[in-house]
Amino acid sequence: MSRYCRKSAALMYSYLDREITIIRRLRIRSHLRRCPPCADGFHFEAKLKDRIKHDCYDEPPAELYERLRAFLQQHGASDTTG
Amino acid sequence: MANQSTFETDVMPFVPQLYSAALRMTRNPADAEDVLQEALLKAFRGYGTFKAGTNLKAWLYRILTNTFINKYRKQTRRPAEVELGDLEDLYLFKRIGSDLGGATRSAEDEALDMFVDEDIKKAVEDLPENFRLPVILADVEGFSYKEIAEITDVPIGTVMSRLHRGRKALQRALWRTAEERGMMESGT
Repeated sequence: MSRYCRKSAALMYSYLDREITIIRRLRIRSHLRRCPPCADGFHFEAKLKDRIKHDCYDEPPAELYERLRAFLQQHGASDTTG
Repeated sequence: MANQSTFETDVMPFVPQLYSAALRMTRNPADAEDVLQEALLKAFRGYGTFKAGTNLKAWLYRILTNTFINKYRKQTRRPAEVELGDLEDLYLFKRIGSDLGGATRSAEDEALDMFVDEDIKKAVEDLPENFRLPVILADVEGFSYKEIAEITDVPIGTVMSRLHRGRKALQRALWRTAEERGMMESGT
């Protein structure tokens, strides 16, 4: 493991979350092109992040909108304090 | 200033996402609907104070998160901070990799396909609340660290450390699931 591997690992989540500067982003990308083990690790984490996003979404029950509208009409109009 | 008369057209499109997030927070449909209902009422009453043109989604999630915390943190009496211990980077990747004996490239990726949707959902829902919230807000809802800091009222450094540790804890939970089921054995 080179120091570039360690540096990339330390910034992995910030990279995947798009929370780093463009310069650092490009540096990491160029390391990943040269280092297949790091690239595999990053790719795995990105895929897991996608799975979390996708799998954690549930459609609301069909009647939810009607219930919410009725609730807001009943409580929202009668009391506008707060 | 936002106008209450446009509340429905402005806010209702966010209902599916908000409901789904509430479901991951509360872990059951009845409580999720209660939290969402209460949050929407607060949003409706406070809509006059929302500055039109600013981040409506983040404003709504802040109300939802606060409603959830106020409603449920009292009941659970959990310690404010739950320790997860130190977990290494790439926790799941490394374990799957060593289990597969470094077989082929991208074998770890394929191993991820062995988890069904419910495994991932359960791993998220089983996280302690302090770690679950940033994971939901970042990974499911796509908020930035700064937005999450504002939504959950914690410093940005704390958001980052909880998010990163929460993800590792989630990977540890997935690895335990894999071990319990002997999921990786067929791959060796």
